[in-house]
Amino acid sequence: MRGRRALTILLILSLLSLTGCWSRKELNDLALVMALGIDLVPEGYAVTAQVMNPSEAGNQKGASSGSLPVVTYKSVGRTVPDALQRMLSMTPRMLYLSHIRVLVFGEALARSGVSDALDFISRNHQLRTDFFLLVAKNSKASNILEIITPFEHIPANSLYSSILVSHKKWAATGKVTLQQFITELERGGSNPIMSGVQLKGDVEEGESAKNVQGISPKTLIQHAGIAVFKKDKLVGWLGEPLSKSVNYTLNDVDSTVGNVPSPDGGTVGFIVYRADTSMDIKLNDQGKPEFTVQLNIEANLTTVEGTLDLNKPSSIEGIEKNLEKRFDDRMASDIREVQQKYNSDIFGFGEALHRKYPKLWKDYRDHWEDSFKTVKIDVHSKVAVRRIGSVIQPLKRELEEK
Amino acid sequence: MTQLENAGSPQEKLPESLSVFIEGMQVRLGKSTDIIYRFITLGPLSAVLVFIEGLSDPQSLIQAVHEDAGLFHELDDFTPVTCLKLLQERTLTLGKVGEISNYTEAETEILAGNTILFIEGSVTALSAGTEALKQRAVEDASSQSVVRGPREGFTESLRENTALVRRRIQNPKLRIESRKLGEQTQTDVAVMYIEGNADPVVLEELRRRLDDARLDSVLESNYIEEMIQDKRYSPFPTVYNTERPDVTASALLEGRIAILVEGTPFVLVVPALLVQFFQSSEDYYQRSDFASLVRLLRFFCFAVALLTPSFYIAITTFHQEMIPTTLLISLIGQREGIPFPAFLEAFIMEITFEILREAGIRLPKSIGQSVSIVGTLVIGQAAVDAGLVSAAMVIVVSITAIANFALPAFNVGISVRMLRFVLMAIAASFGLYGMIIAMIILGLHLCSLESVGIPYMTSFAPMRWQSQRDTFIRVSRRSMKKFFGRN
Repeated sequence: MRGRRALTILLILSLLSLTGCWSRKELNDLALVMALGIDLVPEGYAVTAQVMNPSEAGNQKGASSGSLPVVTYKSVGRTVPDALQRMLSMTPRMLYLSHIRVLVFGEALARSGVSDALDFISRNHQLRTDFFLLVAKNSKASNILEIITPFEHIPANSLYSSILVSHKKWAATGKVTLQQFITELERGGSNPIMSGVQLKGDVEEGESAKNVQGISPKTLIQHAGIAVFKKDKLVGWLGEPLSKSVNYTLNDVDSTVGNVPSPDGGTVGFIVYRADTSMDIKLNDQGKPEFTVQLNIEANLTTVEGTLDLNKPSSIEGIEKNLEKRFDDRMASDIREVQQKYNSDIFGFGEALHRKYPKLWKDYRDHWEDSFKTVKIDVHSKVAVRRIGSVIQPLKRELEEK
Repeated sequence: MTQLENAGSPQEKLPESLSVFIEGMQVRLGKSTDIIYRFITLGPLSAVLVFIEGLSDPQSLIQAVHEDAGLFHELDDFTPVTCLKLLQERTLTLGKVGEISNYTEAETEILAGNTILFIEGSVTALSAGTEALKQRAVEDASSQSVVRGPREGFTESLRENTALVRRRIQNPKLRIESRKLGEQTQTDVAVMYIEGNADPVVLEELRRRLDDARLDSVLESNYIEEMIQDKRYSPFPTVYNTERPDVTASALLEGRIAILVEGTPFVLVVPALLVQFFQSSEDYYQRSDFASLVRLLRFFCFAVALLTPSFYIAITTFHQEMIPTTLLISLIGQREGIPFPAFLEAFIMEITFEILREAGIRLPKSIGQSVSIVGTLVIGQAAVDAGLVSAAMVIVVSITAIANFALPAFNVGISVRMLRFVLMAIAASFGLYGMIIAMIILGLHLCSLESVGIPYMTSFAPMRWQSQRDTFIRVSRRSMKKFFGRN
């Protein structure tokens, strides 16, 4: 009895030391991949990994040995994991993919379809799904990951947080995660988008630490509007105003700024601080669906150029009218442009139709692309100007009154 | 010599002869130098006082006997027997006077600090309560000090301690049962409870366990604690101890039973529940809202003290994907160049801390200061600078140690310290998965424990909604009255 008990204890104790801890990895065995870039090359894929250099990036005391906080590795393989494995021949540590902040596709790859590359990304259990997908406009993904950025030690972090900030305050960029992209891709009645980035400046100069040693860095990474996809293929780029319209339609605007002519001929600047969008579908006489985008916007005035008398409620009402007209016209034409130029339903009108009229959707499902091109879409906006700032009358008006 | 030959028999009667008595006593007690035989004369009779120097103070007895010597002449019938009777009834101005007739009684009385008065020619002797042990004054309870509340702590004297409790509860139903435990030490042990409040079943069980406790010696209440706690092994204490009379009093009022032991200021309280170890007497002396927050903080500290190092080990060696990216970057930077795996790193730091703590207890106060400075600043800082441990690990170990001290009961702190190492080993081999399993096992273990027949987790398992007013939080007196009928 006693022997058996001793044996049991021995076995349990040996369990502790013999497990081998198969998934155990110490922090200093990891090479933290911060960003991944994928390009198309004749041999398959060229994968670029921006890997953190821990002794520089995590070092608080500044005992710098002169190396940079990140290292970018490049390798080529038939498939993405193939290329990643090959990369291990150059890296001193195991690549750890869980903390990727951005995944950048080269434009060439995006135009030929991203789904093959995305399959590995979504299949790999290591990857979280909270990183952003980007397309490198007019360049290769590897170029984007070779630029040293100011402020943030790690360029990938810089990209990540600039997406968050610009999406929140400027609204002309997309904030697309893997999850969202795949959902949009696989739904019948919609097409995905991605946010674009481009280089401003020269790759050669941006590669070294010299780039951030000047007061105005020679090379910067800049957001480049929204990339329109048709299925998994890039079909075109939307500029700043169009990107904003897309985000308004997708009900994805937190805050943005703009300006309109004021009723007396001056210019009024405004900041949108609340925007709600809803989609309405009606069937017309022929039983065809007609869409209405209902936009509710609350805005504040930021600047009033001219001599408008803001003491009069009618002036504010005039501004609101101008704003509404502008939103109606601009958005309707922007949506039409996407309809006709790219013929890609990135707004999800088809999905809305599917939800509201599931039976009718059956008629459209197989050729929604053709129907989308001609479907009628109206925009109705309602704008309320809430605050006009801490002075009432425009300065110019005050000067003239004296 | 006949008396001497059978001196070993316990019930041996006292002799008439003074010299035989002394010889008999010397056989039993030996010729120890602290046993004093003081010869006196009472009129025509010779007598002897036997006492142990230091244990008893026979001064008043001797004085009384001498001062009243004149009384003896008034006796018509002056024999040893009448003389004893007179002394017993009139003369001795002492609290406790008893008659003894055999050696065993005489021996016990002397060892207890009383004085024996033996008169030539009498077969009975007088035992006078002259116990006068030098004892410590009532001082601050150093192990459970409070900001607001009574300062008194128990002393080493059992009687003093029972008095301290009785002064707080002037309830005629307060009962004290005494017994002696320890074959050799014959230590006085008192069981205190309030009749009507205490559960008779628990009381009976406790009595049975005390009866069964075969102890050779009792020098501290832990000797008894180990004998009366449940047989199932547990790192958690199932007997509460305190050196505060107010805590003991409140436990008695709640229906618990206190065990006081001669020679130690630490009083045992049963049945003990887990929540009790998170309560401090001060909770009831402070505002209830503040007391509730502090109590929640203690439960949090319990979790911190138990889990932080193992959690750190688990997430940094198995679950890096769970760490926020910016934190991970900083942690990786700190671990750069650390030669040990995270578990060993944590283990080294924890052991270092335990060494410092153990060393600190026994050091004189003046040196203790410098040791803690050397320990915390020099070793911690130097280890980080030398690249042996990471700064994050020093933070983890420090917060663990500090949280450990925030637990009001020292013995539950010990449980946490032991379990912490077990959990660290589990976290290092099985990650968070292992920790969760370990926590489940720990929960099951706690639920399986009993303290003198009462489930250890009472008020959670079995769930008592009523008592939730005084577990994680403490509601105010007014609402206690509303919900309990009394406050």
